[in-house]
Amino acid sequence: FRYTRNLVDSGNGKFNLMILCWGEGHGSSIHDHTDSHCFMKILQGNLKETLFEWPEKKENGEMTKKSERVLRENQCAYINDSIGLHRVENISHTETAVSLHLYSPPFDSCNTFDQRTGHKHKVKMTFYSQYGERTHCVSTRYHAPC
Amino acid sequence: LPEGLSQWFPALEVLDVSGTGLAELGAELLALPRLHTLLAKNNRLGGPGSLPKGLGQAPLGRSLRVLNLSGNRFAEVPPDLLGLRGLQSLSLGGNRLHGIPPDIQELRSLEFLYLGGNFITSIPPELANLPSLSYLVLCDNKIQSIPPQLAQLHSLRSLSLHNNLLTYLPREILNLVHLEELSLRGNPLVVRFVRDLTYNPPSLQELAGRTIKTRNVPYAPSDLPENLVRYLSLASNCPNPKCGGVYFDSCVRQIKFVDFCGKYRLPLMHYLCSPECSSPCSSASQSSTSQSESDSEDEASVAARRMQKVLLG
Repeated sequence: FRYTRNLVDSGNGKFNLMILCWGEGHGSSIHDHTDSHCFMKILQGNLKETLFEWPEKKENGEMTKKSERVLRENQCAYINDSIGLHRVENISHTETAVSLHLYSPPFDSCNTFDQRTGHKHKVKMTFYSQYGERTHCVSTRYHAPC
Repeated sequence: LPEGLSQWFPALEVLDVSGTGLAELGAELLALPRLHTLLAKNNRLGGPGSLPKGLGQAPLGRSLRVLNLSGNRFAEVPPDLLGLRGLQSLSLGGNRLHGIPPDIQELRSLEFLYLGGNFITSIPPELANLPSLSYLVLCDNKIQSIPPQLAQLHSLRSLSLHNNLLTYLPREILNLVHLEELSLRGNPLVVRFVRDLTYNPPSLQELAGRTIKTRNVPYAPSDLPENLVRYLSLASNCPNPKCGGVYFDSCVRQIKFVDFCGKYRLPLMHYLCSPECSSPCSSASQSSTSQSESDSEDEASVAARRMQKVLLG
């Protein structure tokens, strides 16, 4: 019902390599990357990436969009917390999308942000599957951005 | 499509004719008794005769479970497909739909309905009569309001409403206990408390009706003209649980914010019988404590905490 995160390799603890599968219309929340490097490559379809500025500490208003672009098949992108925050979405209503993500060091929680207010909310990230096996025991009630 | 299709491939179960430029799906398909999945995305379907006549009664009509017509040119949901009583999954994403026909309720087996990326402006309450609907996508449309009846979709697990023109949600949305995913971003949801200042005073007929109902004035159908008997039967109860009041046509629409621990404010529409009803109604209770407001807020906040975990971005 929403995009899935599928762990492929955990690289002796130094990185997480995962494949994300996006249905039509699926998108992530605006999120940060918990001080890690994040590489993303489009394997199939297209994904739109919208970059946002970090919200001001005192300010309580609509978050500022920095830029947006559509990443095509085989294109790569990189982000870390000093660059900013982003939202990734499959804006197609007819095609699914698949992306490959590399995080180093690995992280299992991050902050999601409400675009209208800049308020942040810490969430635990979960996997739909790991090494080809469906992950069942974790609650599905938490957001899981990429 | 070739004419002898059902004779050459009678066991066909899945047919994908996406991206082939087809302007119509012809009668050749009707006699395929085992076809359960038909994918016809990104074609030139949408004109009259895009789907074969008599689809609902044909062998294909009984076997079809999944139909994907996304990325075509449909300006309305083709009536020919409303007879598909066994259809479980329907996608009309990325077409040119301006509305949803009430007869959508005929698709009794529907579990998955994708209507994202159209020009839909409103949702018919009949959509709520689909008993098995669990995944409903309405993102990227022009929807201004959600009918409260949608809360009757007890099986609904995922509701996608992002990028529409919603300024509020009906409070009944909190009744969707099985909802696991809800996307609301990209809607002009009202952030600050807004009070509807254009409250129209109730008519004399409404005031008389309210009095009859709240004072239990006895009447029999023979006492009144038929239209007034019917009018009295349409009384709605004020949603404020502390108020015993009723209303007919005249009500105040008050945006009440369900505060998810300060992180996200979700505007809900409460229909109250009068502007004074946000505090205890003077017609029903004697003590003027602010207890009723906080009690009804408590109910809302329990449901809201459940909803807090459900919201996606």
